[in-house]
Amino acid sequence: MNLRRHHLQDDRLFECYLTERSGDAIDPPTAEHLADCASCGERYTDFTRLMDRLRTDGDAEADEIFTRERLRLQQQQIARRLEHIGRPARIISFPGRLVRRTLTASATRTAPRWIAAAAAAGLFVGVALGASYEFNAFIRSARNSLVHAADASRPARLTPVATRGSSQPDVAADDAFLSDLDVALERPHTRELLAFDAFTPHVRDVRAVGRRD
Amino acid sequence: MSDTRTLRDADTADLDTSARAATGAHDRRSTPISEDSRVAIEIRTLVEHGSMDEARERFADLVAIHQRRASRIAYQYLRDAAEADEAVQDAFVKVFAHITSYRETWPFEVWFTRILINGCLDRRKARARRDRWFVSGEVSTADEARASGSGGGDGDPERNLLARERRARIAAAIDRLDGRQRTVFTLCHYGDCTPREISIMTGLNESTVRVHLFRAARKLRALLGGKP
Repeated sequence: MNLRRHHLQDDRLFECYLTERSGDAIDPPTAEHLADCASCGERYTDFTRLMDRLRTDGDAEADEIFTRERLRLQQQQIARRLEHIGRPARIISFPGRLVRRTLTASATRTAPRWIAAAAAAGLFVGVALGASYEFNAFIRSARNSLVHAADASRPARLTPVATRGSSQPDVAADDAFLSDLDVALERPHTRELLAFDAFTPHVRDVRAVGRRD
Repeated sequence: MSDTRTLRDADTADLDTSARAATGAHDRRSTPISEDSRVAIEIRTLVEHGSMDEARERFADLVAIHQRRASRIAYQYLRDAAEADEAVQDAFVKVFAHITSYRETWPFEVWFTRILINGCLDRRKARARRDRWFVSGEVSTADEARASGSGGGDGDPERNLLARERRARIAAAIDRLDGRQRTVFTLCHYGDCTPREISIMTGLNESTVRVHLFRAARKLRALLGGKP
């Protein structure tokens, strides 16, 4: 009776929508009012149309993106990822096996004893030879030092070569030879520059003039 | 930005606390075990007995049952096909990895959907963090372009354009919903969940779920001007 006089509120309409969607029946007084009241009936129809449109639009949009093919690929991807679950972690066997093999090989193969004996003998001989060589070198150096000491204590019998027959004209000739050598070295070797060089006063000329003054 | 962060935090808080509330809520249920729950129990038994290969084969059936619905929900949450795809995959892998902790007192659908939604919320959080530092990548551009390419399924360009605009308007309106309202609305309309199932998933009271649903519907109607 009360429902007939007052229009249904929005929340009541929404309850009706949810009830209908879940497959249940709307309570009889409300259903009767919706059937009788044109305004409420129209509002309810608009509301359900809006909600249905929202849902169908959303579903259609998602279904366009997640096509059958895409879902199949997704399923394969999930199956691939599941393959790794529940399996023990894989151990990379490459370095481990190699090391183990190397260790096993070296442990099983025992070196012959004569090799060890030969190595020890070689070492002994080497040490002995080295020691004897060093001893000989010491003896030789000691002998040389004794000879030098004896020579130094003896008086010199021969005149040194440089002092033999030395005189004043020889020294002057040597100086002239050396100065000619210097001049030859200092002179420019390029033919085109020789004229310039002739006109240019040299340091030695300037010094000679200075000395004369 | 701060508003959306608050909404996401609220979402997470809802779903974190739902575990406690959901158990109590589900005790009141007296529905028989559904087909997917039965398969899940079978898989759990196989895993417990070490028959992993057989369990994987059976799990493919579960994937086939829930795949499309899961993709719809994830897409409505994330609005990005690639990310939704990954979220669905992650959810299924997580379910299989933790199948031994599944209890038959919970419907498998509820358990799975909760895992999926938590994954989607984490991804939304991560995206918001990313967007704070980088320029937004307009995540749905490619999907929208593809959707517009295929349109409404027919070759009428005008109709395709209108459909695309309508969907964009609906998506924008749903995105403006409060965090709880969006969760509840998405689960109800795109996940085909009843208010009672949503109450188990989210840990909210069933009447609270109904209130959120109604407010979401009213707000959407106002945002969309009465028609989508």
